[in-house]
Amino acid sequence: MAIKYSEKVIEHFKHPKNIGQIENPDAQATEGSPSCGDQLSIYLKVNPETNVINDIKFESYGCASNIATASIITELAKGKTIEEAKNISWKKAADDLGGLPPVKMHCSVLSVDALRSAIKNYEEKHLGKHFDNSLSKKNIEKELNKIIYGKVGVDIITLKMVKYIGIREANKVIIEIEIAKDDPFFNEINDEIQERLEKFPNIEKIVVASVLEVF
Amino acid sequence: MKNKEIYLDACKTSKLDPEVLKEMLPYFTEKFWYPGNFTSIGNEIADALQNSKETIASSLSAKPKEIIFTSGGTDANNIALKGLMAAWENTGKHFITSKIAHPSMLKIFAALEKQGYEGSYISADQDGYLDLDELKKSIRKDTTLIAFTHVNHTLGTIQKIKEISEILKRQDHKINFFIDSCEAYAKIPINVEELGVDSLSISAHKFNGPKGVGALYIKTGTKMVQTQQGINRFQALKPGAINVPAIVGFAKIVELIFKNFSNYRNYLGKIQKLLYDGIVKNIPDIRLNGPKIGKRSPAHLNITFYYAEGEAIMMMLDFENIHVATGSACAAKDLKANYILRHTGRTHEECNSSIRFTLDKFISTTDVERTVKVLTEVIQELRRRSPLGKNRM
Repeated sequence: MAIKYSEKVIEHFKHPKNIGQIENPDAQATEGSPSCGDQLSIYLKVNPETNVINDIKFESYGCASNIATASIITELAKGKTIEEAKNISWKKAADDLGGLPPVKMHCSVLSVDALRSAIKNYEEKHLGKHFDNSLSKKNIEKELNKIIYGKVGVDIITLKMVKYIGIREANKVIIEIEIAKDDPFFNEINDEIQERLEKFPNIEKIVVASVLEVF
Repeated sequence: MKNKEIYLDACKTSKLDPEVLKEMLPYFTEKFWYPGNFTSIGNEIADALQNSKETIASSLSAKPKEIIFTSGGTDANNIALKGLMAAWENTGKHFITSKIAHPSMLKIFAALEKQGYEGSYISADQDGYLDLDELKKSIRKDTTLIAFTHVNHTLGTIQKIKEISEILKRQDHKINFFIDSCEAYAKIPINVEELGVDSLSISAHKFNGPKGVGALYIKTGTKMVQTQQGINRFQALKPGAINVPAIVGFAKIVELIFKNFSNYRNYLGKIQKLLYDGIVKNIPDIRLNGPKIGKRSPAHLNITFYYAEGEAIMMMLDFENIHVATGSACAAKDLKANYILRHTGRTHEECNSSIRFTLDKFISTTDVERTVKVLTEVIQELRRRSPLGKNRM
């Protein structure tokens, strides 16, 4: 079956809102990479008194749904306080676009991820907040929560596909997921786990195993 | 009003030539019979099929009895690869193919491996040429089949088939040589005798012929097991109903193209060069994937447009009624970047920014000019949106 976009996705792709950079932004973040398909940068201008996002812009190296989700997310975030903006979910963005094909849900996750990272960057720079970015089960789970199983368009944590997260000696991480090795999305999920976990400082080795292979 | 359609994806499938449709129509309406004995209508269809066979055979410098009609390239590949491996399994169960073979072959080989056959997959260089030293080293005593794609569907690389035949001739045991020529046929001259192949597949819908029909060449004397069973109305290896209208249409498009094949090829080459030169002149930061213009199939062009993503390029062209294909992971159902570009050394980013243009005789020079103009605007707009490449010279 052919994959199809909603009219709203097409509209936002054709005429995206908030494209470009902000000169001297208060915060910015880049998520994704051209090698995994998409890269998105978000720039913020925030009112220091009210913490309201006065201006937000984005640049995207990405497909139609990437550009459309970034467009809608920046629209949703504009005029909101940073606390309100943090609560914009990828499901909300996808719903507002009239739905996304399951295989494209990860674009919505990437956009929300970039928005949240930009807000985090603001909080670190301007509000003096510190975040725990250490290699812990909790933080690994947070990252896995952003990985979408393309067949159904839902993240692998919600789908209960992650069966085991282990941190061994020398910062070796073992993740077991319930997916067949010959599943068409196995490599994609594996690559994304590697890419997301490599961001942790001091990580030595990431082993992703299929539970279906283990037993 | 929508702009005129410019279809640049002919090697996926192409528009049926109206002359071919005209030739086919009576075989849907009045002449719906099967070939048969002792009746006038049966004889008429038998003659039409025989003439079609002769036309196809002649275009390949083969004998008519060496041609069987199939339901397309995939069907022909299935009949040949499975039939050859089974016929020779007492000699050995090893085959050699390449990492950049067409998916229709790779899927068949994956299935054969599950049945106990064993395969070696040859690498290719950055232009898509197979590593022939690796091929020589991979040949074993139990190798019974070597199967490659003649012209690569992504890059347009023409493999050195004669050189491969020479390597096989020097072996001390028989190794069957099969090529999938679906992308090569009607693009470059093919002479089965000169190429030295035992079997070869072709398909009609990639050069303005009908869908659902192809042919398999099997050199006289080649051992092949029948893998499909049913009523043998016309040819043993492909039993069952005969798609007479499609076969007649197939022969008609071949007749039209081969009537003046060098003119036809020169025209494709001219359009290809015009498109390539237009892109080079107007769009910076690009890369041609595959061999140089003039050294590749005249119908294939594959270009990476750095800093712009392929699915987005494809869709923006589609809004202007210009149709192309992309190697981007974003446009793939399983989110995998094009494996041929990956196996020829392109980075993920280069794959994700790649566009394939494939040509047929219906593309005019005006179409190419408009494509270059729209493409230039599309790439500019997507680069404006992109965080990449902003600091380039």
